[in-house]
Amino acid sequence: MILFFGVLGPGIIAANADNDAGGITTYSIVGAHFGTKMLWVLFLVTISLAITQEMGVRIGLVTRQGLGGVIRENFPIGWTLFAMVAMLVANIGTMTAEFAGVAAAFSIFGISKYIVVPAAVLFVWFVLYKGSFRTTQKIFLLFSTFYIVYIINGFIIKPDFAEAVGSMFRPTVEWTGGFMIAMIALIGTTITPWGQFFIQSYVVDKGLKIKDYKMEKLEVYIGALITNVVSFFIIISTAATLYKHGIHITDAKDAALALRPLAGDLAQFLFGFGLFSASILGAFILPTATAYALCEAFGWESGFNTNWKNGKIFYSIILSVIAIPATVVLLPNISLIKVMVWSQDINGILLPFILIFVMLIINNKRIMGEHTNKLASNIVGGVTILGIIAATVVLLGYSVAELM
Amino acid sequence: MPYLSRILNSKVRDTADVVVGRIKDVLIKPAAGKYSPLQFLAIKAKKGGVIYLPFEAVDNFSHEEVSLKLLFNKTGAVAQFPDGLVCLKRDILDQQIVDLSGARVVRVNDLRIGDFQGATCVLGIDVSFKGLLRRLGVSSLDFLDFFKVNFIDWRQTQPVKGFLKLNVVSNDLSRLHPADLANIVENLNVKNAQKLVASLDAEAAAKVFEEMDAEMKKALVRQLPPDQMAEILDKMSMNDVVDFVKQLSEQERNVILSHLKMGTIEKIRELIEYSNDTAGGLMTTDFMKVEPAMNVNDVVAEIKRLSPALRSLLYVYVVSPKDGKYIGSVSLRRILIASPTQKIGKLIKRYAHQATLNPNDSIKEIIRLMTKYDLNMVAVVESTNVMVGVITIDDVMRYLAPKA
Repeated sequence: MILFFGVLGPGIIAANADNDAGGITTYSIVGAHFGTKMLWVLFLVTISLAITQEMGVRIGLVTRQGLGGVIRENFPIGWTLFAMVAMLVANIGTMTAEFAGVAAAFSIFGISKYIVVPAAVLFVWFVLYKGSFRTTQKIFLLFSTFYIVYIINGFIIKPDFAEAVGSMFRPTVEWTGGFMIAMIALIGTTITPWGQFFIQSYVVDKGLKIKDYKMEKLEVYIGALITNVVSFFIIISTAATLYKHGIHITDAKDAALALRPLAGDLAQFLFGFGLFSASILGAFILPTATAYALCEAFGWESGFNTNWKNGKIFYSIILSVIAIPATVVLLPNISLIKVMVWSQDINGILLPFILIFVMLIINNKRIMGEHTNKLASNIVGGVTILGIIAATVVLLGYSVAELM
Repeated sequence: MPYLSRILNSKVRDTADVVVGRIKDVLIKPAAGKYSPLQFLAIKAKKGGVIYLPFEAVDNFSHEEVSLKLLFNKTGAVAQFPDGLVCLKRDILDQQIVDLSGARVVRVNDLRIGDFQGATCVLGIDVSFKGLLRRLGVSSLDFLDFFKVNFIDWRQTQPVKGFLKLNVVSNDLSRLHPADLANIVENLNVKNAQKLVASLDAEAAAKVFEEMDAEMKKALVRQLPPDQMAEILDKMSMNDVVDFVKQLSEQERNVILSHLKMGTIEKIRELIEYSNDTAGGLMTTDFMKVEPAMNVNDVVAEIKRLSPALRSLLYVYVVSPKDGKYIGSVSLRRILIASPTQKIGKLIKRYAHQATLNPNDSIKEIIRLMTKYDLNMVAVVESTNVMVGVITIDDVMRYLAPKA
């Protein structure tokens, strides 16, 4: 196991954490509601993820500080505030998905969210405050390798692989609001604002230098590939089971059906367990990552070794990023599945803004020296930004049309 | 008195009422622990390009517009960046800075400029929320004056960017307690942290290193050149070095060790074998060793000679000159009251009548023994009767409260 974590670097960890509650749910819905039609988006997103994460690594290696700090030192303060608020909103959204994931996982076993969510809040706060964060993170990261079951499941179902691979290269668009919502969520759950901040801090905190670049780049590419192979199998699993029988996902039990071919009656248990560990892993990373990024940008004292008086802003951010999402999830009659997908849409819609900052930084010679972007990376970055903006505009169009 | 944020971008007008350009930056001569007088204004010229205008030519600085005393062509403005100066906007504003009075790291939201002994100087840095609002141009939001302006006296700060490159280090910085300095280093981004540690002499850096958290140490070891790192390790106490080296990867460990002295390397390799929660892992190998034939006078001289290198000194340990076997210990108190010519061998408390530890004793045993016999310091003796180190109450405390 030590060896396993020895080779685990930022790329793989960030990519794995990408498959959180929002991720599993979004991929399940994409497959269940649209079959393999959206696999081409997944294919393009894999490339975008690899390229944008690589940019984060490069900025981290050159500037040796987090994204929040780099933005603060190189952009007018108003833009800094804008970027940090965008990240905060996106992260609160993602955190909401994590708590919704915990609640949905336990709902499979008939346990009420009014018991589970408060318990999860206390658990997260306790672990973060007591500082056994790193160990716990590793345990849950290990749990989250449960996704392998989707890959095995995918082979047992014996789906039409030729068809699936074909649809990766055959852009298909349904011009409906539902399709756009699912598509933006698919992008927004794979490439995330927090992921951009996370990968950069990770290489900085590890003290990596530019000579480690080649290694890190490779690792980021592998991470992007692995995570999206998993996503691919979640989509084809749900496509071959739920989509074929016209079952729409309205709660976690439905999504669990996709694992029946492999696990039979254990499918619900397996899905519940996977969803829970993925959610709680995200729930550990997000509050602290958010607080560190904001404190770095605005120069507030941070870290769990500061006392309450000096670190009150740091602790307040962590508490809000835990408490606000938990409260949202506890609202009566709220659809947990919708919360998980919509939060990914918020991430997707806010993502272009963060990526624009990343692109401006990485093309700035004064900051990056000789390590500015090559044309290919700029094209991928640019297309990603424009693609999401276009999809968002179309989605807005549909929403307005619906209201009329 | 103006704030830097208000001055930047102001028009500069000469005596003929001609607008020369707008203020782009303000240059000071870096000096530690003094209010720095303004030296030059960097002006974005109307005709294009940047010119550096000596500050003596400025007549009135406190309005929205800056007026000069002379015609522009008589001011002695130059196009070349004046050597050895630091820019307030580029190097200080929005950057991390060390607040020496509070021993913390803050970000500069604004700078207060004013008159001091007839010169216009930087007087303080604004780190408050109010400063942020002012920068955002929305001070009016805080019409109830809810937020207080919080200035840090300029003389009580240690800027990092620019200052450390020019080796301008405040005396107060090196006067900070190593634990506070370590806390500061942990809160700086890795780039600044490296600059700060590099600016300290090896002895001070070693003390700071001993207090730093493991993650930051690991990050810094990759940033500092190995020979400089070795110099710092050389000044650290042996058990801190061992604890630290233990956490490095095999490869990094070998690089660092290869820069150390042969004897040190062997000692480290030996100590590395002990587990962290045993007496061998916790002990300090630096202790006061004397021979039984020495008289009290000699011992006192020896204490004076070695004292700077020892972290704590409560007992003097008497060791056989023939085979290095441990004979017994003498407390400082007994040495203090003994006659100067008395042989130290006559004063000792014998090994056989003493509570000592074996390197393999567990932390439980250490705590039990030290509590039972009310000890602040215990000798660690191998089964061959050779004394290898001491454990102080500090070592135990550090084990029990690693984050403090």
